[in-house]
Amino acid sequence: MDVNYVGEQLLPGQIGQFFVILAFGSAILSCVSYFFATQEPDIKSWRTMGRIGFWTNLLSVVSIGSLLFYIIYNHLFEYHYAWAHSSRSLPTHFIISSFWEGQEGSFWLWMFWQVLLGAVLLFRAKSWESPVMTFVMLSQTFLASMLIGIEFFGSRIGSSPFILLRDALVAPIFKDPNYLSMIADGSGLNATLQNYWMVIHPPTLFLGFASMIVPFAYAAAGLWTKRFKEWITPGLPWALFAVMVLGAGIIMGSFWAYEALNFGGFWAWDPVENVSIIPWLTLIAAVHVMVAYKNSGHGFFTATFLALISFVLVIYASYLTRSGVLGETSVHSFTSLGMSGQLIAFNVTFLLLTILFLVMRNKEMPSTQKEEDIYSREFWLFIGGLVLTVACIQMIATTSIPVFNTIFGTKVAPPIDPIPHYNKYQGAFAVVVMLLTAFTQFLKYKKTDSRKFWAATLASFIMAFIIAGLIIYFAKLYGNAMYILLTFTCVFCLLANLRVLGDAVKGKWRLAGSAVAHIGFALLLLGALIAAATNEVMSVNESKYIAVQNFGKEGDKFSDPGENLFLTQDEPVQMGDYRVTYIGDSVASPNVYYKIKYERLDEESGQVKESFVLRPYAQNNPDMGGLIGTPGTHHSITHDIYTLITAAASESQAKASGMPEEEKTGYEDYEEPATYQVNIGDTLRYRNGYYVIEGINRNAKLNNIPKGPDDIIVGLTIKVVTADNKSYPVEPVFVIKDGNTYDFNKDVAEEGLRFRFTNILPKEDKLEIMLYQKPLPEKKWVVFKAIKFPFINFFWAGTIIMTLGFGLSIYRRLKDGKFS
Amino acid sequence: MKKSSIILIVIIAVAISMILVIYTDSSTYANFTEAKEKQTELYVVGVLNKEKALHYDPVKDANHFSFFMYDSDSTECQVIFNGSKPQDIERSEQIVLTGRMDGNIFHASKILMKCPSKYNKDQVEVIETTASL
Repeated sequence: MDVNYVGEQLLPGQIGQFFVILAFGSAILSCVSYFFATQEPDIKSWRTMGRIGFWTNLLSVVSIGSLLFYIIYNHLFEYHYAWAHSSRSLPTHFIISSFWEGQEGSFWLWMFWQVLLGAVLLFRAKSWESPVMTFVMLSQTFLASMLIGIEFFGSRIGSSPFILLRDALVAPIFKDPNYLSMIADGSGLNATLQNYWMVIHPPTLFLGFASMIVPFAYAAAGLWTKRFKEWITPGLPWALFAVMVLGAGIIMGSFWAYEALNFGGFWAWDPVENVSIIPWLTLIAAVHVMVAYKNSGHGFFTATFLALISFVLVIYASYLTRSGVLGETSVHSFTSLGMSGQLIAFNVTFLLLTILFLVMRNKEMPSTQKEEDIYSREFWLFIGGLVLTVACIQMIATTSIPVFNTIFGTKVAPPIDPIPHYNKYQGAFAVVVMLLTAFTQFLKYKKTDSRKFWAATLASFIMAFIIAGLIIYFAKLYGNAMYILLTFTCVFCLLANLRVLGDAVKGKWRLAGSAVAHIGFALLLLGALIAAATNEVMSVNESKYIAVQNFGKEGDKFSDPGENLFLTQDEPVQMGDYRVTYIGDSVASPNVYYKIKYERLDEESGQVKESFVLRPYAQNNPDMGGLIGTPGTHHSITHDIYTLITAAASESQAKASGMPEEEKTGYEDYEEPATYQVNIGDTLRYRNGYYVIEGINRNAKLNNIPKGPDDIIVGLTIKVVTADNKSYPVEPVFVIKDGNTYDFNKDVAEEGLRFRFTNILPKEDKLEIMLYQKPLPEKKWVVFKAIKFPFINFFWAGTIIMTLGFGLSIYRRLKDGKFS
Repeated sequence: MKKSSIILIVIIAVAISMILVIYTDSSTYANFTEAKEKQTELYVVGVLNKEKALHYDPVKDANHFSFFMYDSDSTECQVIFNGSKPQDIERSEQIVLTGRMDGNIFHASKILMKCPSKYNKDQVEVIETTASL
């Protein structure tokens, strides 16, 4: 049945789909042409064809991106991608992040960076162009295939970002030609991704992933064309670039997690985090062994192998996160889009290429028969590279448990507590790596005078011992051997590299890059260690039920006092050093900001020494399942205070709101009344004060009831005095008319009171009154969690310094490349 | 033998033994009946019983949340979590609990939920008013 749909803009999608196919075709053309250009370098037309294919690919990729952005930006909800990832209310910068929320968009991002890097290579690679571009365009071919979205022989290849909503979903409304006018809005962007870090973290991370292809391509090209020794020189700055960008991208993600997510930390050893750090570490290992090889001729195989395997691990990472295989183990792995077959093919192809080249060229590879001296820098660089590799094997082994389960049909569950599990291993590796990074600075290539080495090392060692001792003492890290060792080795590494930096300032500028990067890394680790080891939950519920809850067992996580604290509005609670008060909230739809005031008082004078207000917010999003909290963090130089709302009162509604109008008696808002028999002059208490029965008013009048001769109309004057000494007069009235009794109540609205004068009991000489009280208005409350992270700024500062150091090293290696 | 070869062998040995040790750290997926027998910390996969009330009263105790869950064998069990109520548990399709059995109640230390993701939540929200032409 053909329906003529109204209002659809089909042209951008059709052009887009054309460019998707063109991108795939041109990538194949370019890859194949460059392959033959390498095999037959004399025929110049192969290279020309490769370049034509490349520029066509670049044009296609840019067009796909522009069209997709046009579709999302203009809210063309006839396209599934725009409908699924954006909504009309998103501001422009979040429209950018919705662009790469889906897998198609993030694959595009990868392709885009890869083709830009290819453009740089086209101009700069010179004699390396053809072999290097063969591999870049092979990878581009695989990525382009992820966007095709067309069925071949019954199975769909890739997933196109230009698929129409009515093709993607089956729903009755698509029978209506006018369906588009009925779609109010898109599904919107996941609330946790609506953070400005999500605008820049994915592009940085993907630039890092994409640039890993370049060292791979150079290493593979070096083996392929037998230019063994030469590939290291142009490959090294690229490897450093990849490491710099990927490192920055990973830490940005960590910062996003810390600022916007509610798990309360900056690193959780989640599979998604692990798989991004593994290729980073292997490429760092590669960089070190490459440097060792350049300076000594040792370790060619290891350097090449590590450069190659790093990119294979990048593809493995995208397989793990995009195929759905992680399933139950990760909070934020992507769900499958049915592309796991393609991803496996991508992975296996590059793994086979790695093995093939290494085996084929095994005999011809340069190797030295001479043994490394133990007092040589290259020997320890090599060892360091291997230690990093083994650290990665541990991460891969644990992270891949679900993959092994899929392959072997087993049902092994990952460790219950991933954080201590990984910390145990990675902490030990970090100690070794930091130790190596420290003393290797005192070694020279080839041969070092052992006496000079020991003298310099010991001097730094002793200094480090003293400084680390102070840090351990003041940060209270002494309870744990691993913390002590790690602090010490970090300080040792810091001092050793500061010495190198000192030499650099005196004139050996070439060494500055590595020293700065090492200092940055040592600071980063130290910051992570102190923040992770000494962070404390401040909001421990100390007052309630501990004795019962703990069952006398200390340190049992099932019965320890919980980490959430209950706060009622305007009622301060002392929490550690701080007095916290929930002072109110403000609504900026769709977020509700909860204002939590922190005050630190001087113990003696009671004066406020420090005061700040945090505004953690929460989005009450029924689509996403209720309250989604975003922490508020107070940053100071020595520590951060992280505050997250975990539950909050829903706006209290009038209790009677659900009751039909005719059934209302006027008393629904009150609690069960109390009846008293009183005399004149009595004083009675109520919840918020007292009231005095002052006297009887026999001249009481009722406006619209005429007083007959036998009727009695009596008022009872009562004075209500509140706790804060305000008084209100009130006079309920008792009536006997024509033999029937009535009464007319009177309210004190300010206090939520209603008085009835219900009877006169002459026998007992008493007056009967009834008092109705409104329930206390439900005070607003929040449940929150607060964590103190000491010295976390080292972590962020270390990252910036490390990135700077990589930058300096790239500059140096590029200069070296020009000389040779 | 070269020094580097010896070191290589040592490192490979370390790597292999480490992987073996990792598997002693690994845990198991179980159902409530097995959890009762084993009395150790493990994973239980199941679904929320949406018919029974979820109990969370932050005014009384902000760190006590209890609910009922069916495991893979459809055995029902009460679960107590020492923390605040996870934000979207009502919508969850699947729950992975970490914890251990204590008597007839499962004490969870961690709750991981699978919620209908945006990718398969393919219901189009339709506005009632049809545009008049």
